[in-house]
Amino acid sequence: MGKILIVDDTLFMRTLLKNILFSGSHDIVGEAENGEEAVEKFKSLKPDLVTMDVVMPKMNGIEALKEITTMNPSAKVIMCTAVGQEQMVKLAIKSGAKGYIVKPFQAPKVLEEVQNVLKQ
Amino acid sequence: MKSLPAKIDNNGSWVAANIQLDEKIIHLPEPMKVDIPLKSIDDLQQKKNILELSVKGKEGQIYRIASVPKALTILKKVILMGCSGYRLMAYFMSPAIRGGVMIKDAKWEKGAIVVLKSRIWFVGQDSQICLPIMDVSAIEKTTRDVQGKKTEVVKIDHVETGEVTTSYVLCPPTTLEVLFNYLTEATKDISMDQDLDPISAQVAMLVYSGMDTHAIENMLNSTNPEIEAIYDKMIELGMVEVVLTRREVKLTTKGVRFVTEAVKPPTN
Repeated sequence: MGKILIVDDTLFMRTLLKNILFSGSHDIVGEAENGEEAVEKFKSLKPDLVTMDVVMPKMNGIEALKEITTMNPSAKVIMCTAVGQEQMVKLAIKSGAKGYIVKPFQAPKVLEEVQNVLKQ
Repeated sequence: MKSLPAKIDNNGSWVAANIQLDEKIIHLPEPMKVDIPLKSIDDLQQKKNILELSVKGKEGQIYRIASVPKALTILKKVILMGCSGYRLMAYFMSPAIRGGVMIKDAKWEKGAIVVLKSRIWFVGQDSQICLPIMDVSAIEKTTRDVQGKKTEVVKIDHVETGEVTTSYVLCPPTTLEVLFNYLTEATKDISMDQDLDPISAQVAMLVYSGMDTHAIENMLNSTNPEIEAIYDKMIELGMVEVVLTRREVKLTTKGVRFVTEAVKPPTN
């Protein structure tokens, strides 16, 4: 079970992820709605894992991922994006993402991926 | 001509036989003694170790052949490459995404895509993957990064044991268009011709993600009758089906009495 920071610009997606992660007995230590806030909360909350949306205002998920992995190269970040943006995978993996989920997603698979990344 | 050990369903009883096959015909020996031209086969499905071949022209004519996996793999490949379905040489990646999670070791396989009456088959060097058309939830064109280049591909989503699984097909642009149109036509029965209002769309997304009614009510800050009304609409549109009906109850006088008694301290 891990302490998780959820980053997504839509309340709906954050709530959905929160419900899924709660059902897997994870602790949600914080939420952020853009990349800047994500970087700040990562510093202060020190989560075990971050779920990071890619397309967000102010600072996008890839930029936030780069800042987070510069701060902590072993940070565990799962990128989360919509169908059709899968080409971002390579960029995200190159930037240090440990996993990738595509919206819409199904709860058991999300929990499996979170578990896999937490074990790494 | 190849010979494969198998059992053939002969009017309900399984008969051991060596079936013969070449690039044009499957020969089922005695007691059936039938030649099945590959071109007459318009559907193929596998149920565990049994292959079901459907032959066009003769209504309801189905042949069932059981064998070991290795023999069935050979037989399937010969049938799929010679039958009367829509066939296209292509690269495919299946599965590429399962339940929203990318499959890390997914790779492009060279082979063919074959669209039959009720099934889409991917035929690779060593694997044959089947997607029932009735389980296909979406067909669309999208772009993928292929060897560093953004390339147009056809994306096929299908539901497999409750999980939405995504496969990709890659072929030259002109054939890709033809394939996309063909698949869209083959799966038109499952397409939605009506838009949902935003709240209903959110409910659909939450159901997709595996949320139960109670969680949906909490997440959307809605009442049970509101969610029930949305379910009714979705049932009418054929988008969902009822799998469980929960009940809310209140205690009768007898129940209240039981609880009251149950909490009394024991008397000696």
